[in-house]
Amino acid sequence: MDGQRVNRRQFIKATGAGALATGIGANIIVPGRARAAKKTLKILQWVHFVPAYDEWFNKKLAKEWGEKNDTEVIVDNIGIAGINPRATAEVSAQKGHDLFLFNWPPPTFEEQTVDMKDVYQELEKKLGKPIDLCVKSTYNPKTKKYFAFSPSFTPDPVNYRQDLFSQVGMPNGPKTWDEVRTVGAKIKKDTGHPVGIGLANEIDTAMALRTIMYAHGAHEQDANGNLTLNSKQTLETIKFVTALFKETMTDEVFTWDASSNNRAMIAGKLSLALNAISITRTAEKQDPAISAKIQLTKALKGPVRAIGLEHVMDCYVVWKFAENIEGAKKFLVDYTTNFHEAFVAGEFYDFPCWPKTVPDITKLISNDPKAHPPDKYKVLDDVLNWATNVGYPGYANAAIDEIYSTWVLNVMFAKAASGAASPEDALKEADAQCRRIFAKWKEKKMV
Amino acid sequence: MSDLTEAARPAARVPARPGRLDFLVNRRGWLGSMMIAPAVLYILLVVGVPFFLALYYSLTDITAGSRTLDFVGLKNFRAILDSPQFLTALRNTFVFAIGSQVLVIVLATILALALMKDFPGKWFVRLLILLPWVAPMSLGSIGWLWILDSIYSVINWTLQAAGLISADNWPMYLGKPYLAMMSVIGVHVWRLLPLATVILMAGLTSIPQEIHDAAQVDGASPWRHLVQITLPLVRPIMLVASLFGLVFAFTDMIVIFVLTRGGPYDTTQVLSTLAFFTGIQGGDLAEGAAIAVFLFPMLLVVAFVFLRVARRTEVV
Repeated sequence: MDGQRVNRRQFIKATGAGALATGIGANIIVPGRARAAKKTLKILQWVHFVPAYDEWFNKKLAKEWGEKNDTEVIVDNIGIAGINPRATAEVSAQKGHDLFLFNWPPPTFEEQTVDMKDVYQELEKKLGKPIDLCVKSTYNPKTKKYFAFSPSFTPDPVNYRQDLFSQVGMPNGPKTWDEVRTVGAKIKKDTGHPVGIGLANEIDTAMALRTIMYAHGAHEQDANGNLTLNSKQTLETIKFVTALFKETMTDEVFTWDASSNNRAMIAGKLSLALNAISITRTAEKQDPAISAKIQLTKALKGPVRAIGLEHVMDCYVVWKFAENIEGAKKFLVDYTTNFHEAFVAGEFYDFPCWPKTVPDITKLISNDPKAHPPDKYKVLDDVLNWATNVGYPGYANAAIDEIYSTWVLNVMFAKAASGAASPEDALKEADAQCRRIFAKWKEKKMV
Repeated sequence: MSDLTEAARPAARVPARPGRLDFLVNRRGWLGSMMIAPAVLYILLVVGVPFFLALYYSLTDITAGSRTLDFVGLKNFRAILDSPQFLTALRNTFVFAIGSQVLVIVLATILALALMKDFPGKWFVRLLILLPWVAPMSLGSIGWLWILDSIYSVINWTLQAAGLISADNWPMYLGKPYLAMMSVIGVHVWRLLPLATVILMAGLTSIPQEIHDAAQVDGASPWRHLVQITLPLVRPIMLVASLFGLVFAFTDMIVIFVLTRGGPYDTTQVLSTLAFFTGIQGGDLAEGAAIAVFLFPMLLVVAFVFLRVARRTEVV
């Protein structure tokens, strides 16, 4: 019997060979079964404000696109606060996702991203030109590179309480910033409902204050990327915001985070706020009564123009170190070409940067069964014409990004409004900050 | 003889063969080093490497999106010293760290002395005091965000229900500079108090009972007992607790990031939050790193002085 006994080493050899033959080996031995390893496409996105969008994107779009392109699509969703730290970590490790979605322009990552010119060119052949906001948010005119690709953006309209504004003869809401000031003061005095424009270190404040600035003809930079903050128009805007705060608001605007104006509006405390359609969508689900009272209006007119900002700018980048660059680009072309589905799945939260992708946009937003009334969102039908980018009239560049991220303008307006500094001193201090930041990024040849 | 019989024979008692690592295990110096090695390795990898990387970054021009970097010397440090925002954050950092630490030490001493006494439900009080330390800091801070919220503040609701404030006169805890600073200090104290209390209780327990007995026999009043016996004897461990707390307060950003993000208008902006906003959100990693490590030399000196004083005052 000894001669037939199998020791441990022989056993491992035999079973290993068997496993090889039945598993991997079968593909080598039988030519008909041989095939290349399936490709993968790893996508990172934020946790969308509309859960139904993630459901559609992750379970339907990604799956169907993967089957059609013989690719395993892996989608990871993270909270918005984790996006920049995650991007920095991926760059540092030179490993990560093939397609990475920022919710704002990411010019500081330009060196690490693939030029998206060919994606833009391919889509232009199919869909015509994208809107200006899209190009201004993803193109660096200094390096002539598209550091990102933007298929969509989220508008930032004015949310107002129709019942309160009706009491002062303005059922369709204000049309100008001066009306917000005068009528807002009257509503606050008569009913105790203040206006809610943030003056805190958070993104909604950053957007709203820039909207007021641009409407007053004040800008951080000109079209060529030269710093222009220190101007008569900016000073006038600071004075206007100071008056607006004193006459129409309360101290709570200094305490806010990005969701505070949503909560305050839905709690029935505010007469007016600037935000994406997140306020109205949340109200539709949580409190139909207040939902019927909150209506939307277009960008308000200032002394110079009527203009509004994007609230979220969807900017996809493909890292140079991505493992499936071609797949990522193809996904973007297909996703954008069929953006109609995304527009519906996201409950109109994301608007197209390529108008032709949703040709029936007016019809869709004019009759939304969830809205109170169904045509609540119709005011957004021309939003592609009045929404603009952070850094208008120039491009979203690295200096503008740092000014935005370190709350320089938020602090400037808040200091003046609170009386902590005079408008002149607040502007002087902010201008010094901006000069330092611009000089730094110019030296790095990013601006 | 069958295999079974062979196997069943009791094994002869022979001395165990020396193991390959016996020469290490049996040498006192080697064994100690081996056992502490994982901890040292952990600290080197998780604390040392990022720290030296931050130091290195602060002397370069690296950005969040670049892999190439050039040595620029102290340029980033000179740049931040020109920034009013940095100087404001520096001042706020000292107010936040020292303010919170003074409160932590005073309250922890009172709590530790109280918890040394026997009273009904003592275990439950100890459990309650330890809870803030057990809960994740971000979660605790979010809880406080709601407590201090401008619309849903439970404090304001209670004060209003008690008739102490009116509906249109709610204090905005995170909206006024002094209230916001008091709020972030308060939450930080709430978080650090359990650790300091436990450390001080350990110090109090280590005082020999004979000293207390001798003082009692000599007729020392409770105040003299506290000031001339208990506090001097517990001072070394109190200094260690202070050092921990101080370094933590100088470097932590969670409470402020969650509650105010530096607002209102940068009056609670501290170096750690500014470093994050500049380096990670704003993309200038080099300047963010310079802001983050700016206080390192000072903290090093503070740590050295505290530990030296603690060693000199050790009497037990």
